[in-house]
Amino acid sequence: MPALPLDELQLTERDPKTGKLRTLPALHPEIKADRSFVLYRPPPVVRDPALVEEFLERAKFIADDLNWLLALPHDRFWCQVIFDETLQKCLDSYLCYAPRKFDASLDCHPEVNDVQKCLHRSVFLTFLRMSTHKESKDHFITPAVFGEIIYNNFLFDIPKILDLCVLFGKGNGLLLQKMIENIFTQQPSYFGDLDETLPTVLQVFNNILRKCGLQCEGASAEPQKLEERVNVTPGNMPLQELKDIVLYLCDTCTTLWAFLDVFPPACQTFQKHEFCYRLASFYELAIPELESAIKKRHYEDNSVFADLWRRISHSRKKMIEAFHILINQVCLQPILESSCENIQPFIEEFLQIFTSVLQEKRFLRDYDELFPVEDDVSLLQQASFTLDETRTSYILHAVESAWEGVDRKKAQVVKDPAPPAA
Amino acid sequence: MALPRLTGALRSFSNVSKHEDYCEELTDLTTKRSKLHEQLLNSDLTWKKIIKFVDDNLDKKEHQTVNGDLKTILQAAKQIVGAENGQEAIESGAVFLFKTFHRKECVGHDETKAIKQMFGPFPSSSATAACNATCRIASHFTEEQLTALMQMAEEQNCDNRVFFGKNIVFSFDMHDLDHSEELPVNGEADEQKIISLDYNKFLNNQLNHLQN
Repeated sequence: MPALPLDELQLTERDPKTGKLRTLPALHPEIKADRSFVLYRPPPVVRDPALVEEFLERAKFIADDLNWLLALPHDRFWCQVIFDETLQKCLDSYLCYAPRKFDASLDCHPEVNDVQKCLHRSVFLTFLRMSTHKESKDHFITPAVFGEIIYNNFLFDIPKILDLCVLFGKGNGLLLQKMIENIFTQQPSYFGDLDETLPTVLQVFNNILRKCGLQCEGASAEPQKLEERVNVTPGNMPLQELKDIVLYLCDTCTTLWAFLDVFPPACQTFQKHEFCYRLASFYELAIPELESAIKKRHYEDNSVFADLWRRISHSRKKMIEAFHILINQVCLQPILESSCENIQPFIEEFLQIFTSVLQEKRFLRDYDELFPVEDDVSLLQQASFTLDETRTSYILHAVESAWEGVDRKKAQVVKDPAPPAA
Repeated sequence: MALPRLTGALRSFSNVSKHEDYCEELTDLTTKRSKLHEQLLNSDLTWKKIIKFVDDNLDKKEHQTVNGDLKTILQAAKQIVGAENGQEAIESGAVFLFKTFHRKECVGHDETKAIKQMFGPFPSSSATAACNATCRIASHFTEEQLTALMQMAEEQNCDNRVFFGKNIVFSFDMHDLDHSEELPVNGEADEQKIISLDYNKFLNNQLNHLQN
């Protein structure tokens, strides 16, 4: 007998109340087990025995429950994830609060580390199971219905997907890539959600600038609140505030980069919001200001500022790498993959993006240091005979002049050992 | 306090995720504990089964002492669970105590924690009494016999320990901060000057610096 998809499957069972046989769809709230998951809380920052115990109690409940969940047969698993609100909240709370490795490092009790590891793996496997519509030959869900189930029940949403990338992208990148590709393929509405999320992401950049007392373009249209007129800059704000800004920046950049790294097809949606340009101008405003504040204030607390400096350097790198993934996905890859005739729009896009960021000299310099613009341009030149030389040389000239006068030495050092590939 | 995170901001300010209300923080543990109680009541191993197990496996002459010990455990369970919860709850509590102590010689930290988690604060003398009684009972049996008994206590689905993703290679490697240059401690790195002992040169440098 050919197996039916889970969404069409009917079960016959005895009604617990009347004792009569009845037929239920396999996906039905009454089949859900009454289990009650608890919310996840992050490990305590200090090694306080009472706090450790409190953490362990919660974490062990979750670990046991997730092991039980993963051992459930296919139909019971899906009933649980669809109909058990406490399970969904538990998973969401883990993604929200699970410590990232780049958070301030914790000195954890070994037992805490062990449970944390268990949880980390079980949470990943649970999300893996939820992103698989065909678990085996006999156990599967109709793809279109699967798409609706995960979307309508918020089993996945954009914040969760971003969290998954930053938490699991390094070690389990390939599997995660398949998961996320499958989610977006079966449910294209996620592209729409991503599109709706981007203004909020850009708003996060603007908020960081505003907290640093830096005006960003476009934001001046709003009337300024009176209390915000106080002249707070990274150079004079309280240390805790500066730390928060840097941590926020670091998390934001790493998360965005981790997502683009795992799922480059998202780049088109990002670029619909002129993301490259917004990223570069944000970089140009925020980075030099934060860097000079940290350099100036390091005497306040050397180790704290050394840490902030690392986070700024890391954020810089992630922004530049994200920019490169975008350029690569939106322009370079299509040029490399398609035949000569229809590459013109991609070349145009490339020229457009670089022209838009030419005045961001600090950004341009840092980008050029990691990903020489010359290399990308020479790729365009090889692909197209009709390339507008005036425009490319204009761009290259701007890159050259961005280097002028500053830090020439560094440029040499970086460029010499790795000459542009011919 | 929660760390500032991008996805935190997206959850609060965008409308692409379900807005969760995490206020029930304290009640979720209470609910969980009561669910555990229910699970305990539904356990396959019952007090009656333990008594039957003892009856089946021991000589008549040992019965008397063992029965005394069983009574002690039940009595301790009554103290810990509370008499007002009824016989059924007390018996399942006794099963829990027997399960907890059958391989232990004394009441350790883990056992105290387990009992407290299940029943809340309890008189430790009862726990000690239950522990000692359980030890004496257990000493009459072989390791295999005890294991067979305990298997009844496990959840039904434990024999098929296949869980989803069992064979999937999982890596704990996570994104970390990239290695980067140190914070330039002595002012601007690119402005570092070579200090000369030549006084005139030093003076000129200083003057230049001031003019700039």
